[in-house]
Amino acid sequence: MTLQGKIALVTGARGGIGRAIVARFLKEGAAVYVADLTPEGSLDKHDDDGSHFVKLDVTKEADAIAAMDHVRSTHGKLDILVNAAGIEIEKTVEETTLEEWNQSFAVNSTGTFLTSKYAIPLMRAAAKSGSSASLINFGSYDGFIADPGLAAYCATKGAVHALTRAMACDHGPEGIRVNAICPGYIDTPMLQSFFEGDGSGGGGGNIETLQKAVRDVHPMRTYGTPTDIANLVNWLAGDEARYASGQLWVLDGGLSAQVQQMKL
Amino acid sequence: MRLSGKRAFVTGGRQGIGRGIVDMFMTEGAEVITCGRGPAPDGLDAGWLSLDVSDAQAVNAAVRELGTLDIVVNNAGVQVEKTVVDSTDVDWDLVMGANAKGVFNVCRAVIPQMRAGGSIINIGSISGNVADPSMALYNASKAFVHGLTRSIAVDHGPTVRCNAICPGWIETGMLDAGFDLAKDPTKAKTDALARHAVKRFGKPDDIAAMALWLASDESSFATGQLFTVDGGMTAASPLNPGLF
Repeated sequence: MTLQGKIALVTGARGGIGRAIVARFLKEGAAVYVADLTPEGSLDKHDDDGSHFVKLDVTKEADAIAAMDHVRSTHGKLDILVNAAGIEIEKTVEETTLEEWNQSFAVNSTGTFLTSKYAIPLMRAAAKSGSSASLINFGSYDGFIADPGLAAYCATKGAVHALTRAMACDHGPEGIRVNAICPGYIDTPMLQSFFEGDGSGGGGGNIETLQKAVRDVHPMRTYGTPTDIANLVNWLAGDEARYASGQLWVLDGGLSAQVQQMKL
Repeated sequence: MRLSGKRAFVTGGRQGIGRGIVDMFMTEGAEVITCGRGPAPDGLDAGWLSLDVSDAQAVNAAVRELGTLDIVVNNAGVQVEKTVVDSTDVDWDLVMGANAKGVFNVCRAVIPQMRAGGSIINIGSISGNVADPSMALYNASKAFVHGLTRSIAVDHGPTVRCNAICPGWIETGMLDAGFDLAKDPTKAKTDALARHAVKRFGKPDDIAAMALWLASDESSFATGQLFTVDGGMTAASPLNPGLF
């Protein structure tokens, strides 16, 4: 129970990775606010797990203010914020419409900004108790190297990486640690959509073959699970990580450690 | 003539990338001395020293004879295609001797003899940043080159600049040796080409062009950096589902 007594809020909390984070936080004893567009989220089901649902469209400033007001009135502080809400548009720059570009930035970058902006006063209050508060953003290995046909997504994640370092600089002195997790291929509804989408090169081809090929390109010969990500989020959220700040934590089964693989 | 009046020493100029650099530097007006194990290759217009860069005493003696230098390119290198478990002590001495100790030997000897404003250019590799499979010692030796590059830039900054070029897959004998490892070398080559944004492998002249810029006074504010020239390969994810 490493998070006993801590208050956490997770955005995108009903998505694939978000759910795993919420489950782990609850198991570790935290009180968890589950923020998403709907109680069902992308998995289209709702578990009554003891968490508190908060309706939050991360692109709306009023929603961010209301969510944090709710946390303030109940607990007066926030120890942990996880900005996991995200979308991806599978298109090149040329194919991407201005509306799609703006929507990508609205959710992935502006959403991270807005939720953080209104959470920081509550996190500052939490840090006064003596242990640091932890803000965890979702970058991506795509913020370092590009997947084909994901231009806007890659750019939004690069923005999140830079914002992570900027917030770590600005709010470290106040006891708020800021890190980003940069997942590689994780088995989520977003990944399955990527496999099925035009941008994947799957083009309606055999998904099984495609999935196997993707696994085989990883040094670990598998893609990750939401639980793998939740394990690292849990570490960064807790006091064991009290010296960890301003870093981009790549978790990708070794995928980006290698040069393009020659077919040997 | 961008290198008129400059004296350059390029290690490993017999063939491949080194030869490309030697030829381009000479075309641009530099006086060039190169070296390698064994006698001078046919058709080389540059000065030649028979020298094994892994031999510190031999390097010190040869560099003393060279006198004042403006440009030094540490290009000499070897590769052994093995994992850590398969690599022998002999492999370690060969790869680290040439690629790591050789660069150290040459830099230690030449820096006191370089004119102010001089430029050291080390040939690192994309493999020093991300791993090529079954190239363990080579990958590690190139990471050493990257670290040494920054150290020299920081320690000797007022006098000399030091940068590294990280080539990707360049059409040389070394690249063919890599493809020879594949079950189907032709298929491997086709697959590798598809992973390059520019849809071709590099040529020694592509690297020589970067070396020329780093050797010239146009780059007088560039130091301590790694310059990747790889046709866009490492900008892309190793996972490219469109190719499966």
